[in-house]
Amino acid sequence: MIFQTAPNPVEDFVKLLGFWDHLLTGFITMIWLYGLALVMGFFLGILLAIVRQYGGKILSRFSIVYIEIVRGTPLLAQTLLLFYLPTSLGLPVMGLELEYNFTLLDKDITLTLFNQAIFIGIITLGLNSAAYQAEYFRGAILSIGEGQIVAAESLGMSRLSGIYHVVLPQALRRVIPSWSNEAAYLPKYTVVVYFIGVKELFREAYYIMTNPRIAVTPLTIYIFIAVMFIVMISLISKGLDVLHKRTGIPGL
Amino acid sequence: MLNPPDKGNIFLRGKNLNDPEINLNAIRARIGMVFQHFNLFAHLKAIDNVSLGLRRVKGFSKEEARAKALETLDRVKMTKWADHYPAQLSGGQKQRVGIARALAMEPDVILFDEPTSALDPELIGDVLQVMLDIAKSGTTMIVVTHEMGFARAVASEMIFIGEGVILERGSPQHFFTSPKSERVKKFLEQLDILYGGHDKLLQLSNGEERK
Repeated sequence: MIFQTAPNPVEDFVKLLGFWDHLLTGFITMIWLYGLALVMGFFLGILLAIVRQYGGKILSRFSIVYIEIVRGTPLLAQTLLLFYLPTSLGLPVMGLELEYNFTLLDKDITLTLFNQAIFIGIITLGLNSAAYQAEYFRGAILSIGEGQIVAAESLGMSRLSGIYHVVLPQALRRVIPSWSNEAAYLPKYTVVVYFIGVKELFREAYYIMTNPRIAVTPLTIYIFIAVMFIVMISLISKGLDVLHKRTGIPGL
Repeated sequence: MLNPPDKGNIFLRGKNLNDPEINLNAIRARIGMVFQHFNLFAHLKAIDNVSLGLRRVKGFSKEEARAKALETLDRVKMTKWADHYPAQLSGGQKQRVGIARALAMEPDVILFDEPTSALDPELIGDVLQVMLDIAKSGTTMIVVTHEMGFARAVASEMIFIGEGVILERGSPQHFFTSPKSERVKKFLEQLDILYGGHDKLLQLSNGEERK
């Protein structure tokens, strides 16, 4: 290693592309974790926000405590805690594994969609994201004002019906710009599952970097990964921007 | 009944609304409410503002609700604006949609909370005209208002409230010609100065100057 010649960036990049199957499975795993966690956080977040806002004295306190605990503790600690919790409690570890094997351009690729670690990873990220999303939703609900739900109730609609038909449609439109924060943050947070052994993008990067046969310099790998993220997140932001404009209320 | 009362009882058609057994939502559906600041559903077109209650509370089908909503919008002369969103309407137009929203539910009584106080004078006329039409058609209305001329023309009974207490109660005739309360007398004097007797106002200010 000491006598290694100065790396040629182009040569290094070509070597990196030789590992495209690893980059691909790592990327898909990351998107998979991200997508499921974001959706889970979305629905749970709405529920938490509604309970916090309209749940009354006792229920809303539960929501507040949940949000504060999740936001106040490190995501990595949450991930490790949930990962080790079943074994600590003596619960049987889930043996279910879902793998998808296929051949692409002469390479045999194995994509693991579900195993214990991925399952825990999705749950943790979803539970974590829910707390942050809840606060975005609550902000949007607060910005609508009491008058709307009062008007719904004046027609004889139940509180729940008023929330569903009057408050949510407006809150979901308004939340998009601030919510895009969470949509842009979460892909990068998925890296925590590295620590419980999920073969996501950074684990694959480490594998490529330390490959004894064809080592690629860290600089090349991490710049490449950074570019992957920036492309993906720019697309998400743009998509949300378009959605925000499309769903805008005329005249407002 | 949107805010629970501190004390006292409210009766509607002989039923005490403070009875804990009562279904509050069912009662609210029978009491229309028109708000000072309109409170139209911002994400819905005028027609959907009117039909939402019909669909979700009265269980109308989409078509039935639409037909009924259009008919009601016609009563407030807003058919032309049925497909506009609240943010695209003027204050007076919004308030007429607000009235249609309450009216479509065919309530036993409609409550108006200062329906014209957020409007400029030119728009007040349209809203009052619509309210006059509704009054003529026989719907019971309880109106909190500063529009004394309107109250005089439409009301069958007027109540003057000061600091939470009823100060004067009676027909418009009684209210404007022979009030008993000092406060109401003073109030009428003020009205007179504002709308009728500019001479009086001049006299007053002349008096001030001479001092």
